[in-house]
This record gives sequence, structure tokens and C-alpha cells, in this order.
Amino acid sequence: MDFDAMRDAFPKLIAAVPTTLTLAAVSLCLGFGLAVPLALMRVSKSRLLSGLAYAYVYVIRSTPLLVQMFLIYYGSGQFRAFFEAAGLWVLFRDAWFCAILALTLSTAAYSTEIIRGAIQAVPLGQVEAARAVGMSGVLQFRRVVFPIAMRLALPAYGNEIILMVKSTSLASTITIVEVTGVAKQIISNTFQPVEVFVIAGAIYLSINFIVSRAVTVTEIWLNPHLRTERAIRSTTAAAIH
Amino acid sequence: MKSSGLLFAAALQSAYVTEGAAMPNVPAAIGNRPTLVAEDVHKSFGSFEVLKGMSLEANRGDVISIIGSSGSGKSTFLRCMNFLEMPSKGRIAVGQDEIKVETNHKGRLVGLDRKKIDRMRMQLGMVFQSFNLWSHMSVLQNVMEGPVHVLKQPKNEVRDRAMDLLSKVGIAEKHGSYPSELSGGQQQRVSIARALAMQPAALLFDEPTSALDPELVGEVLKVVRQLAEEGRTMIVVTHEIGFAREVSSKVVFLDKGRIEEQGTPEEVFRNPSSQRCREFLASVL
Repeated sequence: MDFDAMRDAFPKLIAAVPTTLTLAAVSLCLGFGLAVPLALMRVSKSRLLSGLAYAYVYVIRSTPLLVQMFLIYYGSGQFRAFFEAAGLWVLFRDAWFCAILALTLSTAAYSTEIIRGAIQAVPLGQVEAARAVGMSGVLQFRRVVFPIAMRLALPAYGNEIILMVKSTSLASTITIVEVTGVAKQIISNTFQPVEVFVIAGAIYLSINFIVSRAVTVTEIWLNPHLRTERAIRSTTAAAIH
Repeated sequence: MKSSGLLFAAALQSAYVTEGAAMPNVPAAIGNRPTLVAEDVHKSFGSFEVLKGMSLEANRGDVISIIGSSGSGKSTFLRCMNFLEMPSKGRIAVGQDEIKVETNHKGRLVGLDRKKIDRMRMQLGMVFQSFNLWSHMSVLQNVMEGPVHVLKQPKNEVRDRAMDLLSKVGIAEKHGSYPSELSGGQQQRVSIARALAMQPAALLFDEPTSALDPELVGEVLKVVRQLAEEGRTMIVVTHEIGFAREVSSKVVFLDKGRIEEQGTPEEVFRNPSSQRCREFLASVL
């Protein structure tokens, strides 16, 4: 292993971390914004709304993200006349836009299912208690269903965040120079894939370590009763030792 | 009319209140109109008719116990009163508001009015068998939630009232705890405080002690008894026959979706006229 090569690659790869984080953060935010209304459509009594949302989720989840990204970035070129007429070509000719669109659509689909499951898992009794004090449907959702659903969804959603951080590497295939993109560039000059990819992998590992810790902290912060349970667990654990 | 009601309420308060701090918020009576009326309430689940036309009237200060074997429709009847179950047919009136429901030939319910249902629910405090406290809110937040977000009352005022109610049910020191940190009996007392915080015209209890360990039943019944003594209007679905006999002004015995027997506790327990009621009482007493 050539440690000098690793030392050379490290600062270059670190410099690309903000790009990776921006891709992940922007598409996660937009995706979440899409997922909440989609999840509401999924649980709605209207067959049409529920069907539309499910069709979206089904298509996106069942096709590879890489294929979706290629379709959006390269495919839009084939319909350039149409996009130009619609005034959207400025967007679709931009790799950044295409990468974020593909990542957003993907995370929205997965998050929709996570949030739908969480909404359906909210204990009915607590919803009835909200109804019984005379809350309107919107108020029930805002004050009771959504906050509880978010707490239920958090562990699974943390998983989704980690998957998204890793998925940003696919953006390197459509010319975005994020961590994996930089790694490829260095390798094409040095022909030392192991050294460079080990560093790149370690960078993703570190990001996701922070992400998973942040998710755990958020979980404890949102579920005050977990704090005492954890305290009890650690004291009983201490007592056993 | 309203002012005389208020005077009456004030007189009631001074007559019943024993402790100065927690004044019960007995709402103004509306003339001689009953607080709660349920008339000819029917409810079917599919082809199974759970309620076959039940009527009940609660006047101010009434404590009505609904008893009967499981499956007799007690809880369903109670839940129809605040539309947690939609009656298939019948009339419910709470204070000034009333709703007449019917099922049309297509099997659709007609006559429901969301806004009006919400308004009626605000006037009926509900205490559930399994407490149903909001798990993501502290005890104090649970009690404040309705008045602040539904009735839009100022937070400071509501907080004071909520703390008073929590001390009344004997749980003020736990106001910062979360429901999962409390025993069943404590949770049920919080949920009673939550119902009271809405200053309802009547309280509905759906088997408030059935989910509790035997040694915790007493602390909840004590609170309910105290409310009865204050002259609150209450409808209690219960299995606690002794309790029903002691606190009720009226006892209703349900069997197979019908009111089989009703009257004062004396009448129903000492001298029931219906065979079914005699059998039921023999089996539980």
C-alpha cells in the first residue's frame, strides 16, 4: 500500500465532501417534502389518490437509481425540443439539477412508505383522544398523528439518510465531482484504485457515523421517556457487573 | 336565561366545593334543557345490530352508570354519544347542538355535520379504558392541549387551571413526566384531568378502571367519586357494580343492545324487574 498516495489523495477527497453533503441534504429535504403529502395520499380513503401515490412509489422503488439518473440526464437530451419549448431546458441540461432530481424522486418514494407505515402505526386510541376533545382533522394530524408518526419513523428514516449519503456517489456518473467523482479523477492519473477508494470509503464511513449518532441523539431527544428507560438500563447493567 | 344558569352554577359550586384551590368548572345550565340526550340510537356493524334503539337523558348533576355483560353494547352506546362511533340512526343532543343521523337507502349516513360534531365533542369530556394519553407530550401538555389548541384559550390561564386540576387528581408533582413513566392509575387520573380541562358539560367514562391492576382501581374511583360529589354530570360505563350502586343517581342495565332495566340504584339493585338483570346481578355480586 502506497501511503504517500493516500496522503496526497486525502485533502482532494475531503475538498469534495461539501458537494456530497449538499447533494444528500438538498435531495433529502426536498424528498421529505414530497413524501409527506404522498404518504397522506397513500393512506387516504380515495382509491385514486392512494393508487397514484402507490404507482409512483412502485415505479421508483423497482427501478435502479442509476437508470433513473441516466434517463433524466441523458434521456432529457432526446426531448430537448420539448424541454426548450417548456422553458425547462436550462434545468435539464444542468447535471446538478438532474442529479438532485433523481435523488429526490428516489428518496421521496422510499420515505413515502416509511411515513405511511408510521402514520398507520400511530395508536388509534391516541387519535380517538384527539377526536374526543373536538380537534379537527387537520389539527389531529398536526398535533397528534404527525408528531407520533415522526417518532415511529425515525429509526427507519435514519437508514434512509445513510442510504442517500451513499447514493450520492452515483451522481459521479453524470459528471458531478463529489467524493467518488474526485476519487475516479485521481485514479485515472495515478492508477492506484485501492489507496484512493480506501480513503473515499473511509470518508463515507465517517459521514455516516456522524449521521447515525445524530439520528440516535434525535431519537432520544424526541422520546423523553427513552431517556429514563436508558438510564434504568444502564443502572441495571451496572448492577449486574 | 344564561345568567340565571350561571347563578345556579355558582350556587352549586359553593354548595359542593370542599377545597378552595380547585374550583370545579360547572358549566352554565341551559334552562331546563337536559345536558345530554341520546334518542333512539341504533348502531349496526355490518348486518349485526349492536344497538337496537336506546334512549338516555342526562340532566345536570346526574351520575348515570351503564352496566351489562360484555357485548351488550355499553361502550358502543357511550361512544355514539360523542360520535367516536357513528350511530346508524338516532338523535344526539348536547347543550344547544343536536345531530339527527339516518342511514339512507344506499347505506350512507346522512345528517352528520363535522363542525357540529367537533363542537359537541368539546362539551363532552371522554375518559377511555386504556387512558389514551398522548405519548409524546408531558402530563401537563396533555392536560393543556385541548384548551390551548382547540378552545384557543390563553396559555398562561390554561397552565394555572391545568396545575389545579392535576393537584385535584393528586398528581401535580408528576406534571413534567411522560405517560409511559406513570402507572395505569396515575395515567387514568391524568386523563380525567385532561377531560376536565376542557370544562365540559358532561363527562363520559368508558370502563375507566377495567385496564387497571386491582390495587390501582381505588385511586381512580376515588377521583370519580369526588367528581360525582361535586355535582358533575357523568355517564359511566362500568363493571364496578359496588361503585355504581354507591355513586349513581341512575343505573341503566343493557342487554343485547337494548335497555333492559333502568332506575335508581335502589330500584335496579334491590328489586330488578327483568329476569336478565336479576341473572346478571346474581353473577357479578
